[in-house]
Amino acid sequence: MSARVWRLLVVVLAGAVAGCAEDASQMRFAQNADIAKPVHRKARAVVEKTLEEHFGTPLDSVAWLKLPVNYGKTEGKVKSVDGQSLVVDFNAETSDLESLKSPELNRSGLLFTSGANQGKSFLLADYDASEQSLETLTALESVPAEGDQFVVAGQNLRHGRKLYARHCQHCHGINGDGDGTTAKYLNPRPRDYRLGIFKFTSTNKDTKASRDDLKRILSQGIPGTYMPAFVPMLKENELTVLIEYVRWLAMRGELEVQLLKDLKNDYAADRVKKEAQESKASTSEIEKQIAKQLEEYVANPTEGLAAFIETVTGDMVLAWEGAETAGTVIMPPVPRVPDTAESRERGKALFVKTDGGKCINCHGPTGRGNGFQTEDFQKNDATGGFFEKRGLHDSWGEQIKPRDLTRGIYRGGRRPIDIYRRISQGIKGTPMPPVAATVKPEQIWDLVNYVLSVPFESASPKAAKTNSVAGQPSEHGNAN
Amino acid sequence: MRKFWCAFFVFWPIVAIIYSLISSLVPSLGWWFPGASVTELGQRIDNLFYLILYIVTTVFVGTQIAMGYVLWRASHSKDERAWFSHGSHSLEVIWSVVPSVILLFLALYQMDVWALFRVQAYFPKEAREAPVAEVTARQFEWRIRYPAPGKKLQLKPQPDDLYDVNDLHVPINRPVMIQLRSGDVQHSFFLPHLRVKQDAIPGQIIPIWFKAEKLGIFDLTCAELCGWGHYKMRAQLSAEREVEYEAYLKKLQADQNYDGHAIPSAVAKKDE
Repeated sequence: MSARVWRLLVVVLAGAVAGCAEDASQMRFAQNADIAKPVHRKARAVVEKTLEEHFGTPLDSVAWLKLPVNYGKTEGKVKSVDGQSLVVDFNAETSDLESLKSPELNRSGLLFTSGANQGKSFLLADYDASEQSLETLTALESVPAEGDQFVVAGQNLRHGRKLYARHCQHCHGINGDGDGTTAKYLNPRPRDYRLGIFKFTSTNKDTKASRDDLKRILSQGIPGTYMPAFVPMLKENELTVLIEYVRWLAMRGELEVQLLKDLKNDYAADRVKKEAQESKASTSEIEKQIAKQLEEYVANPTEGLAAFIETVTGDMVLAWEGAETAGTVIMPPVPRVPDTAESRERGKALFVKTDGGKCINCHGPTGRGNGFQTEDFQKNDATGGFFEKRGLHDSWGEQIKPRDLTRGIYRGGRRPIDIYRRISQGIKGTPMPPVAATVKPEQIWDLVNYVLSVPFESASPKAAKTNSVAGQPSEHGNAN
Repeated sequence: MRKFWCAFFVFWPIVAIIYSLISSLVPSLGWWFPGASVTELGQRIDNLFYLILYIVTTVFVGTQIAMGYVLWRASHSKDERAWFSHGSHSLEVIWSVVPSVILLFLALYQMDVWALFRVQAYFPKEAREAPVAEVTARQFEWRIRYPAPGKKLQLKPQPDDLYDVNDLHVPINRPVMIQLRSGDVQHSFFLPHLRVKQDAIPGQIIPIWFKAEKLGIFDLTCAELCGWGHYKMRAQLSAEREVEYEAYLKKLQADQNYDGHAIPSAVAKKDE
């Protein structure tokens, strides 16, 4: 064949295999820009380093055993010790390590449950599946003996990360910051997990979302938003690991926000400028001083960074664990008040009462979501001033609309109990307030009955007639 | 190079024959349809498909072999001149009339199947009069609205309607009709095992009917590229016995009215 034919063949073949190589993606956790900006860059670096240490990177995540995350555990025992590497035996019943390649286990947590190292956890550097040998990243404190029991954790995180990258990341972002590549096309915006707040929960107003709440959202979706239902595409075990990964991201974000907020007090970005003006010291001197102070802060074991992380994570652990306890789930003390015309009337009377639940202020007199508060300037708790734009804002600083109750779309679920919980405990991260302190359970049920009846309140008697037999197009869009 | 083109044109009919033989002899490989159709109408659609496949295969294999033969003969003799047939009236009549007859036959032969599948007036009366559910496709899920047990599906949502997502339940051995809508863009309601495929178009309500004749859970997917999450629109069709279907609706009703006090079903309990 001529050279021309050969050249053509090479081009065709090259074209055919182009893009087949595995893409080494450069995923990294970005810093929370809005909160980090007013913080001095050296302090920001401390935050990044802390997060890297406790959470790792997206592709090399750390199973920080302190957090109430089910990282997935595999039990095993030491067979022999060879310097830094341990030859081990995994428990067949609890092990799903065989299916994992060794890089998957990097930086998993290794926790000894017996022997000299009991209660101590280390990070794994390497796992060789054929030799069944483990290597730790940090030196073992004491040499383990043969037969010492340990637990390796982290598989769920890795499995969860893969699922998250495939199904969630393009909206919710690598960090869980709700700023993925498709996020800018969406209204409402995807949830930013980093405040640790999820809106639709069954728990009381002071508690986090429970695993079951997240599972419900994943399996039911959120009508009226871009969040679709992921069942039956995702199987039960996939939901489980995905939820753990999302909780882990939320906790990572929370720690980041708390650290940045704390460091902002002493290490504001404009500190150098301010001090230079006040004391007439040179900027490089102040920079040096900041570096020294930070160094001391990081090194101080009792009042420094370590202590702060200890406090913040302690609170976080309590809050997330609390959501899993039965006591925090809101169960109405009385059964639903029968859904009668009288009950709805009572509910409506409460709804429009300006000194009761104040529903009318935002949702409007007919529940259309056009109350006067939507036209007013609202206080911004974060800055102490007012928001630039009129209308309600959520904790993420986004403008939000009160629900138009006439449309029959219930984002957090349409069961009476879902609506009861939202009225009773409010919606976390939004101006929807809890009314449980001022409104009696029976009255909340009246409100529920009224709210559920709003889409069917005909504006005029004529409208009721258009409810014809199926088969003809309706004049309204689907309210589903 | 001459021999190469002879082999090239003969190679493809051989591949076609081997492929059809393997796929029809070993249907478990799933090279063809996802198993036999679950509906009788689907079986008739398959038969139509096979009829066309046989015609096309015969024509394809025939022409390829003829082409291979002609090239082979020409590559062997340099003396033989080609027969110049351009402008032959009788040949043109033949290759116009024969395909027309075939196409006309297909057009007439498939009419009753098409009418039964697509034209509402030919739908089974039982299905037409009582649609079981309204399915709304939306980026990227299937939202389903059932009428309350014992009631008829209304055009507009009713207070006692039942809702589910991504899980369409239907009773078997009875023609059922669903109303297909779209909440945003164009989607396509595709039940591969039942050979049902219908586009969902914004602003339109499109009726679809089928009669599942086998118990089971079948795929319900979107067959129209509807956006970046198209692949997420994977739902399921649960074809079940009449009693199970009724029990499912009852359970849905109990779940939907759950107030924390009534005895919830297993699913509701798990959610709490």
